[in-house]
Amino acid sequence: MSAALKAALEDLLRCRRLQEEGPPLRGEDRRLRPLPTGIQGVDALLGGGLPRGQVSEVHGPRSSGRTGLVLSLVAASMARGSLAAWVDPADRLAPASASAAGVDLARLLWLRGGARGPRARGLPEAVAAVATLVGSGLFEAVVLDVAAVPVHELGRLPGSTWIRLQRMVADSPCALVLLAEAHVARGPAGASLELRASAPCWSGAAGPGRLLRGLGTELLAGRHSPRRVAFELQAPV
Amino acid sequence: MYGCLHSPRPLPFEGSLLDIAREFTPRVEGLGTTVLLDLHGLGRVWESPALLGRSLLAAGRGRGLELQAALAWTRMAALLAARGRAGLTLVPPGGEPEVLAPLPLELLQLPPERRDLFHRWGLKSLGDLAALPAVGLAERLGPDGARLRRMARGEDDQPLVATPRAESFECTLELEWPVDGLEPLSFLLARLLEPLCAGLRARGRRAAGLVLDLVLVDRRLYRRALRPAAPTAEPRTWRTLLLLDLEAHPPGEAIAAITVRAEATPARLVQFSLLDPAQPSPERLAETLARLQEWTAAGRAGSPALVDTHRPEAFVMATFSPPSQAAVPALPSAPRLALRAFRPPLPARVSLRDGEPAFVSAPGIRGAVVDRAGPWRASGDWWDVAWSREEWDVSLGGGGFYRIFRDRMREAWFVEGEMD
Repeated sequence: MSAALKAALEDLLRCRRLQEEGPPLRGEDRRLRPLPTGIQGVDALLGGGLPRGQVSEVHGPRSSGRTGLVLSLVAASMARGSLAAWVDPADRLAPASASAAGVDLARLLWLRGGARGPRARGLPEAVAAVATLVGSGLFEAVVLDVAAVPVHELGRLPGSTWIRLQRMVADSPCALVLLAEAHVARGPAGASLELRASAPCWSGAAGPGRLLRGLGTELLAGRHSPRRVAFELQAPV
Repeated sequence: MYGCLHSPRPLPFEGSLLDIAREFTPRVEGLGTTVLLDLHGLGRVWESPALLGRSLLAAGRGRGLELQAALAWTRMAALLAARGRAGLTLVPPGGEPEVLAPLPLELLQLPPERRDLFHRWGLKSLGDLAALPAVGLAERLGPDGARLRRMARGEDDQPLVATPRAESFECTLELEWPVDGLEPLSFLLARLLEPLCAGLRARGRRAAGLVLDLVLVDRRLYRRALRPAAPTAEPRTWRTLLLLDLEAHPPGEAIAAITVRAEATPARLVQFSLLDPAQPSPERLAETLARLQEWTAAGRAGSPALVDTHRPEAFVMATFSPPSQAAVPALPSAPRLALRAFRPPLPARVSLRDGEPAFVSAPGIRGAVVDRAGPWRASGDWWDVAWSREEWDVSLGGGGFYRIFRDRMREAWFVEGEMD
């Protein structure tokens, strides 16, 4: 199909509002289009979203909004009909939270570690699974959740681990996201997002009937001369 | 010319008449204890119809069956003559009404009301029915009457419809030297799977499952059966799945012979939509899940599915099988704070002040409660395994927001998870 004909088709779809955002046509290279996080301020800061074909990281201390941000990214990806994978060596994902964030659970492949016994899956197995998922080309977003993995265990991984993963993801339209407590790694063109929690938001005065309404958080993009944006994550019901 | 073989007694196994008939011609129609043969063109092979008929009966006797045979120039005449007359019957061309006339009317296998009607009319034989005027019979019984009269005269109403052979997709390779190891086995599997999958595709089939039988050097049979999420006829996909399975479940001995048997299923017809994103290839999905076998076998991989209950953490792990076209949940208006669950919930010591949590201590978590929301009480499943809890959202001085709860059945505190 010629480029002019393809462009005319996409214009036709948009004019007739058959879709708000034209999906990738078959065979179209989607690598140039970043993966939106679904949070307007963050996407504007990143120039559209997280880059595809790169290892990116989202890190911060506890209760800084890391998981909420990554779930929003996964939900936005699924809203376009894509698949996502969540590799969870510490088994910390709450499906109800993911569903409340808009994640289509039927399109989410969840690999859970954390079990004890001979079938326990640790961090090396999780990294191997990430390599399999990235190499399959089936998933638009692959998340490796190492936020609850002790630092000494992360340090035991071979130094070339992240370089190999970057090489694997470089030829794919997939975005590999590391969810961590501190800086781990990122690709040469990957995003490094640090979150810092600010004040929580409560509904009403202290006392019975009060609810946690949300959490304000500040995002810093880039390790040197970071750019900042603040946003709020609403509390789950 | 048509032939017919009929067994007046029940057959020892289904398909025995078809096997006999296929020794003479490939076009046969099976009708239970009767089989029709299309003998057109066999005049050059057999000297006379009588010799062919005697050979058919001899073939039956060779398998321990006493059969009745008929050869005629119409399908119906051969069928009725074989069912109604013992031994061999040769119906000359144009002589069908005369040969069939004395045979009983029951050979037409009439419905009860039609049989009773003909009995009241005094009809006993095919000749009696054939002698009735065609127009009068049609006026009284409609098109069915005319059809029955034609049948009684040995005239055809339908052609012979050949019964297709039972499909079998199986390849076997006996090795001159035993093989040990996955690498040499990979080449052998490719040799078996290429023609097997080509045969499937040629018949418009896919393999929904594959059975691999390995005869080991100690004469044991080692069997592995695979059934991916979607049928496929790609030899590369099947080879990868088989090798991954054998890597996880090695046979333990060298292999002397290999048999691969496919469970055929009609090919899947899918029309893709211009407006929807491309769906994942089922073959690639099956390969990927096979490579994650260590996770899937332990039940630690799949799609979570929420259970419709108020009980906290109620979900089940389902097989990852993304829907081809399904409504995607609407995105929330604002991004949501997520709960990072502790499994199992962490036992905690909570100090209270005025009935509210003031200090929380749990493995890896410690701090004074700076702010709190709650209590929110919930309970359920009183008819089964009851649960009752009192939940609090707390902000600790050392940092972090947590959901803690008091189990009112056990009177104990736990940390359910951290808000992140």
